[in-house]
Amino acid sequence: MEKEKLKKDVIAIYAVAVIGLIVTLIVYVGYFTPEWKMYQSEFKKYVKQKLGEEKAKGIETGIKQIYVKELRRVDRCITCHMGYEWKGLENAPNPFKTHPKEILDKHPVSKYGCTICHGGQGYALNKEEAHGFIEHWEEPLLGKELEDLYRPPDRKVLMQMNCNICHRYDTLTAGADYINYAKKLVKEKGCRACHKINGRGGVIGPDLTYEGDKAPEQFDYARIGGRKSVFAWHVAHFKNPKMVSPESIMPEMGFGSREAIALTLLMLSWKKVHLPPEYYPQSYTALADLPTPEEIEKERQMREGEGAFFVNKGCFVCHSISVFGIESAAKIGPDLSNAVEDVPSRFGKTLENFIKEPTGTMAIVLGSQITLTDEEKATVVQLLTKAYEKYRKQQLTSKH
Amino acid sequence: MAELEVKQKRLNGRGLFWTWSPRSEKEAGESIVRNLLLHWFPAKVTLKSLSWGYSLWLGTITAALFLILGITGVILMFLYVPSVERAYQSIKDIEYVVSFGWFIRAMHRNAAHLMVASAFLHMVRVFLTGAYKNGIGVGQNRPLNWIVGVVLLLITLLLSFTGYLLPWDQLAFWAITVGTNIAKSAPLVGEWIRFILLGGHEIEQNALIRFYVLHCFFLPSAVLILFSYHMWRIRKDGGLACVDNLVLSQKKEKVKDGIKSKTYSLLGLTTGRTVQVEATLLDEEKYTVNSVPFLIRRIGLVMLGTFIFVALISLFINAPLEEPANPNVTPNPAKAPWYFLWLQELVAITTIRIGGFVLNGAFIGGILIPGVLVLLLAIWPYFDKSSNLNTGVWFGKERIRQNIVFLVLCFFVILLIIIGTYMRGPNWEFYFPWEPWPEIPKKF
Repeated sequence: MEKEKLKKDVIAIYAVAVIGLIVTLIVYVGYFTPEWKMYQSEFKKYVKQKLGEEKAKGIETGIKQIYVKELRRVDRCITCHMGYEWKGLENAPNPFKTHPKEILDKHPVSKYGCTICHGGQGYALNKEEAHGFIEHWEEPLLGKELEDLYRPPDRKVLMQMNCNICHRYDTLTAGADYINYAKKLVKEKGCRACHKINGRGGVIGPDLTYEGDKAPEQFDYARIGGRKSVFAWHVAHFKNPKMVSPESIMPEMGFGSREAIALTLLMLSWKKVHLPPEYYPQSYTALADLPTPEEIEKERQMREGEGAFFVNKGCFVCHSISVFGIESAAKIGPDLSNAVEDVPSRFGKTLENFIKEPTGTMAIVLGSQITLTDEEKATVVQLLTKAYEKYRKQQLTSKH
Repeated sequence: MAELEVKQKRLNGRGLFWTWSPRSEKEAGESIVRNLLLHWFPAKVTLKSLSWGYSLWLGTITAALFLILGITGVILMFLYVPSVERAYQSIKDIEYVVSFGWFIRAMHRNAAHLMVASAFLHMVRVFLTGAYKNGIGVGQNRPLNWIVGVVLLLITLLLSFTGYLLPWDQLAFWAITVGTNIAKSAPLVGEWIRFILLGGHEIEQNALIRFYVLHCFFLPSAVLILFSYHMWRIRKDGGLACVDNLVLSQKKEKVKDGIKSKTYSLLGLTTGRTVQVEATLLDEEKYTVNSVPFLIRRIGLVMLGTFIFVALISLFINAPLEEPANPNVTPNPAKAPWYFLWLQELVAITTIRIGGFVLNGAFIGGILIPGVLVLLLAIWPYFDKSSNLNTGVWFGKERIRQNIVFLVLCFFVILLIIIGTYMRGPNWEFYFPWEPWPEIPKKF
């Protein structure tokens, strides 16, 4: 190597330094022209145009955030959504629009922030990442983009999922019609016959109390067409459980899109969330999720009637026995009034044999949930035979 | 009178920048001789040592990367909170709201990956040029410096590995899970090593704070100390190994020309000849230049170049941050950091299934093979019996066979890393790079 070549190092240093200068410039240009600055200057312009220069002058620029220590959330959404508390911007385009006032009165921004209700990534300062439709962010904005994807029968319903983080134990929540509907379905269809929810219910199906915490990887998407997501899985599963997981013994309930989406939202809202007690609404039903007085009274009446045995054993959760005045909430199983003739036609064996050696769903129910001694099994046959006699008489009289 | 003025000036300067004032010229001279920093660089340096082609400057690049990591790392230390509740949030803040935070973090991450790579390549270069071999000088101990280098490489891996956990996201959590589970399979001490490393049986707060302290204090300190020694040893060994080669070849020339080379011991005190004495045999005019400015300038160029390169790629390659760590959800596939992927791949390969019987490969693939390789690496110079004519030459004639063996081993390690990184999908199944993986499900 020549000494002369070494002297060329000087030129190389200058060349590298120029590249360094360019990199520095790029970084600085990026620093001074973030996306949010564009929105802030547009907001100023918009306010000046609509509300006058005086108002526009008062706008403070810079990164803005709501830090809710209790919820461990930092939401920087208001850096771009600057008009959220302004009067007179109710009809402005997003992101400048005023937030509906009524809901903010009850849920002050300083106490709740934004993302606990809306979803999205509060940390982020650019639209794409803040709205959360990116890899490695599991809480996207529950808004138009997602509703375009899943097409619920009504609009602005996905966000109701997050209402139920705090309103979990309420029977009715104002403005959350899908969640309210889903809660009604849970009662009517008797989900608790098989599933534990909030600590109450059966053990045939999985405990659903924290179903919303399950990760996407914990579901089997092999039989799901289209988008592979937990949301899509639940919707498909509610519509046809056996199609999604063939081994499932969950009965098909004949749910339509509305029911399936409402129930999915409810299920996904059941998460372990760090929530200080004061965030739960102060109502009489809150924190309880207990049966209503009417439900308790009805159960008491059934418990004292002829079919008391079936009520005490819990059979009535799924089966009505109309001749004994027992009405099941869920009606998952058939009415047992005519079991004596119905069982042989369904399973090809007599009631007595079926009770001894049940098959299908009943095998699991009688094997785990409701265990009967031999004496009790005999009682079942005896009582149902009695019910059948009554049923026959009713049939005859109704014919005449 | 003039001399007095000069002394006065020196005194004023000394007050600010030099707390120690030598009482005599001799003392001042001695202070230089005793100073470690001033021992790093010689006054004159051979052109061969300065050339791009001999050393590829990989050691300097590694040192420059370490410097970048130190600077960016200290900045990140002011911003990062080593707690399981806050770590992830603090990284999000660094990414989104700290001025240039994303850039500093990207530089730190990229420099870390590059440092692992450059330290490895530096080792490959030293092996292929036979630079761990002693040449002709007295007091040379290049094999020792090679071992120091191997230790430095291992510490570099540990530094990168401990840093991997800090963001406390899924990537971090599961990479450390895989890594520490491999460590667990070491016989007898495996369980214990994992316990000590994690401060418990789970990757939790204790593990995080241990990794943090190791990453920010102990391991960098160890690197600083060993690196200083590594550099000082190069001087003690008479510079880069190519200098020995130059002296030897020149001596041959001179003998051929009939010029007698003198051989004498240093003042009759030591046997053999010192490096310095041999160096006088070099035609200084022809083969050497002054270190100032040539060596210093080129070091500056390499360091600046490394810095700008890291900054440039950081514009395009940002540091990843996945979902917050969740011990209940294992990503599929869960991968160790890339430099440990050859181990994970080895573990997968050596795990043998015969019917229902599974022979776990964690010990063979994760401990035995890498353990033997590292041990071989450390003691190799003591088994290399080639003559000193092969010191400091690329692909020395007597070292062809060992170079091939070494390269084949390196090739397999790199191949396994590439397969592990790019061709292993869910359930560790093989996918060609152009084959799409099954869609990764999302919550919505």
